[in-house]
Amino acid sequence: MTGRDDIPPPDGGDDALAAEYALGLLDAEGARAFEARLAREPDLRAAYARWAEHFAGLTDGIAPVTPPARLRRRVLGIAPRRPVWRRGWAWAAGAVAAALLVWINAGAPFLPDAEPEFVAEIAAEDRALVLAAAYDADTSQLVVDRQSGQAVSGRVLELWLIAGDAAPVSLGVLPDDPRAEIAVPQALRDLLAAGAILAVSDEPPGGSPTGQPTGAVLAVGQITAS
Amino acid sequence: MADRNQIEALIARVALGDRSAFGALYDATSAKLFGVLLRVLNNRDAAEDALQEVFEKIWRNAARYQVNGLSPMTWLITIARNHAIDRLRRQRATEPLDTAPEQADAAPGPEAQVIAKSEMGRLSACFDELEADHADAVRRAYLGGETYAELAARFAVPLNTMRTRLRRSLMKLKECLTR
Repeated sequence: MTGRDDIPPPDGGDDALAAEYALGLLDAEGARAFEARLAREPDLRAAYARWAEHFAGLTDGIAPVTPPARLRRRVLGIAPRRPVWRRGWAWAAGAVAAALLVWINAGAPFLPDAEPEFVAEIAAEDRALVLAAAYDADTSQLVVDRQSGQAVSGRVLELWLIAGDAAPVSLGVLPDDPRAEIAVPQALRDLLAAGAILAVSDEPPGGSPTGQPTGAVLAVGQITAS
Repeated sequence: MADRNQIEALIARVALGDRSAFGALYDATSAKLFGVLLRVLNNRDAAEDALQEVFEKIWRNAARYQVNGLSPMTWLITIARNHAIDRLRRQRATEPLDTAPEQADAAPGPEAQVIAKSEMGRLSACFDELEADHADAVRRAYLGGETYAELAARFAVPLNTMRTRLRRSLMKLKECLTR
């Protein structure tokens, strides 16, 4: 399905291109090129999002149809009992190793005087948000250094600790400042150990009103012993 | 159906591997997504398989929700619609053209008439401002997965002409929707 010209089409420019992408009208090569640009260009992402919302409206008149009950069992059977990020352990360990290298090369400017006992790199899959965390069990201080990315306007980033299969526990809302020092409460100190997960979610100002993440989980990382 | 915030919260919990949230998300949204899959695929068995595959994608990709700024139902509908279109196109590619069944007619059907009366009156009104063929083409692309080549053949115009005209119509649609 080619026939696309190499020169930019005359009408509509990028906005029409975003609409064509949302409709699935670009050929494979055109779609790949568009996706590569999407990753870099917020304006293009916004244009795509607007079209996706408009076109999804074309399904408004489609009546819901309850699928057969056996399908529910099949679908829920696909969710493994282990949390999804566990599958990314090897990746997480590699990322932590890489992050440690960066710290050493940078002269470890933000690390506490004492060697931290536990570290984690909390990162988005596309690395749009990356935080380095270091925990010193002697002082119960968790230092979080936001290295890239930030909360979207009018929202905040909230840090979560997930130990084993337990529900996430909030470690608090991260400040606007890239560096945060968090005094870890007594009850959570033992949970903050190798193997546990740190995650950052997008939340309304003041943090999650429910005590559980309510917005998207933006970044995840596993804690390892340093 | 659950409201936007509830669905958003469920997606956030699914991203953390919460199976009960996954069940709740399925309960809240599967009927709508199944309706969309049935409409696009026009085949019950295919729609059932597709629904399972769509929820696999949702389970795997929940952590990426909001990266592209879509509202939660649009994100879910887009995953379902794109998956169904991919399936439809693979199916078309493996069937000889002359025996390929005519897919679900994406021309304004009963639901298009319902849209006209629904709260999406604006989208519908803006579609009405387009040339009928072009509004039809946009619907056929979105709900029928038709490509420029297929649309050009259907409306008996050269492919580049089809593209130029459709792009103009899309800009007209945008102008109307942002009016």
